[in-house]
Amino acid sequence: MNTPGLIRAVQSSGGPHADLELVTRCRRGDSAAWRGLYDRYAPIVHRFLSAFGVPREEREDACQEVFVAVYRSLARFRGEARLSTWIYRIAARHAGRIARRRRVRGLLSTLLVREPPPPPAPDPSERSERLQLLDEMISKLSPKKRLVLVLFEIEGVPIEEIAKIAECPENTAWSRLHYARAELMAMAKRRVK
Amino acid sequence: MTPRRRWPEGPDEVSAELRRALDEAALRGPDDVTLRRGWAAVANPPEPPRRSGRRGFWFAGGMASTAALAVVAGVWLWPRAADRAPMSRAKALAHAESVVGPGARRLTLEGGVEAVIGRSGVMRIDDGAPRVEAGEVRFSVPHRQPGHPFVVHAEGYRVVVVGTRFGISVADAAVLVDVDEGIVEVWETASQRRLARLTPGERWNSPPIEASNTPAPPAAPAAPTAAPAAPAAVPTAAPTPSGFVMPSLLAHAHRGHHRSVALASPGGAGDDAEPASPGQPARDPAVAARAALSAGDPSRALALYRALAQGTGPSAENASYEIGKVLNEKMGQPAAAVSAWRRYRSVYPDGILRAEADVSIIETLAKSGDADGALSEASEFLRRRPDSERRAEIARLAGDLYRARGDCRHAVNMYQLAMGATRPRDAVEAAATHRTECLARLAAEGAR
Repeated sequence: MNTPGLIRAVQSSGGPHADLELVTRCRRGDSAAWRGLYDRYAPIVHRFLSAFGVPREEREDACQEVFVAVYRSLARFRGEARLSTWIYRIAARHAGRIARRRRVRGLLSTLLVREPPPPPAPDPSERSERLQLLDEMISKLSPKKRLVLVLFEIEGVPIEEIAKIAECPENTAWSRLHYARAELMAMAKRRVK
Repeated sequence: MTPRRRWPEGPDEVSAELRRALDEAALRGPDDVTLRRGWAAVANPPEPPRRSGRRGFWFAGGMASTAALAVVAGVWLWPRAADRAPMSRAKALAHAESVVGPGARRLTLEGGVEAVIGRSGVMRIDDGAPRVEAGEVRFSVPHRQPGHPFVVHAEGYRVVVVGTRFGISVADAAVLVDVDEGIVEVWETASQRRLARLTPGERWNSPPIEASNTPAPPAAPAAPTAAPAAPAAVPTAAPTPSGFVMPSLLAHAHRGHHRSVALASPGGAGDDAEPASPGQPARDPAVAARAALSAGDPSRALALYRALAQGTGPSAENASYEIGKVLNEKMGQPAAAVSAWRRYRSVYPDGILRAEADVSIIETLAKSGDADGALSEASEFLRRRPDSERRAEIARLAGDLYRARGDCRHAVNMYQLAMGATRPRDAVEAAATHRTECLARLAAEGAR
């Protein structure tokens, strides 16, 4: 199946009412609810960050920072979007920040003629060569296309939700997906040749 | 919902391969240890959820706060009855309370701390921290964020905990602290000195009043006194505290007077907690260590982790583990790393990162060429942890080590073990391949 992860999580969450109730309980200080939210979404956030190209050594911290951000923003969750959509949006912003930080570090290293930051170490838990190749190809996509592709093809998020996460019209999301797929396929074909 | 279809759809090999890669990416996820470690870090977030106001309102907000503060101060300082409780200073910490026995009450305080106040116990909330004034109060403290220990005051002492179960008794200005679980530190408030570090089963008695009033007792009392004395006798009548006392805490709850208290937010723990104990750096050392690593300064990170590992609680445990990781991955000292992880195992035999430490030791020994050591550790791991999620990886590694030695029989056994697990898939697949290879070799040897 190509729709694992989030779709399953969203279905098992019981819909927007259950989400809102969970968030309300978290706001009230119900630690069990907070734990429930973490248990449900931490693996998803972690996987999303992996697919988005957050290097392994930063991923754990990044995941924790996403949850701290989620916690701090709980008061702003109005239940208009799915909780998963809202969490993805926070995670996407955070992943974008990490990527920017890495780029700036690399640029500064170049400007200061220092050794550039080392490339992310291969993750021993993800030894599949196929997966490493995919990560490498995805990392070459532009951030906007990467976000749409990762959410749609790996996370299995419907395009309507992706449009909300990426804060763009649905048509734009479709168009980004189309180009991202084309670029990915072209890269894969070049590799085979 | 938009109907889904699999992409890429083409029958060619590139499409099929890409599809498989996407499927694999969709199935990957963090291991349980990572998730547990993550939970330990976010279980008690540092700030409570709040609505973020627009910056434009800050000035107006500041003016309003100043005015409100002036009014509150005016009301507070207005000469009235001296025994009036300073209501605004008393932090409303209690979440809920319930009767748990004759005369005893259980209170849930900020951060999930549970306090059971004995029959004649008197506890007062003083500047956000509980103060045991008389009688016995027993606490159960969930693990805290690093730098935010739970602090209880009793007479001239501060009892600082990171997460544990312990009790405090106060009688005639004498304080007794005893520990059921975890580690508790007793600090002298005036001199800011640590007097004792108690482990489960140990007790600490405050010195006689004359002695406690004299400044700076020698360093020797820092050792916990395994005092055989029973907990101090609890006064039968609770004294009337001068400041604000939560009425229900006076153990005379039958009078039916309950003060309504606001619910503390889940993140309140961090904000309300007392600042780090003396000697503790203001910045979270774990964050500083990670920053040092990112900045390419593993020596500094190592020093920070070593200092952190001296403490207690999850942060100390994580630091103990991270020492090995830094030594191995950043400083190229595998032998020192293995020693560090072994030290971790001896301090935290049932620690949350125990399996991780075991696996790290095995992998490091194998990489550094100590096959005997790695195989012995791997066998022990497989024996001790029949349900571990890392079983397949370790069995496969042990199989590879045996195979490299030409010991196909043992290698087959190990690969068989690896194949009994379901994940990670690549380890299981590799084990199956190598097992076939070993079986072929064994068959060839048999034929000869």
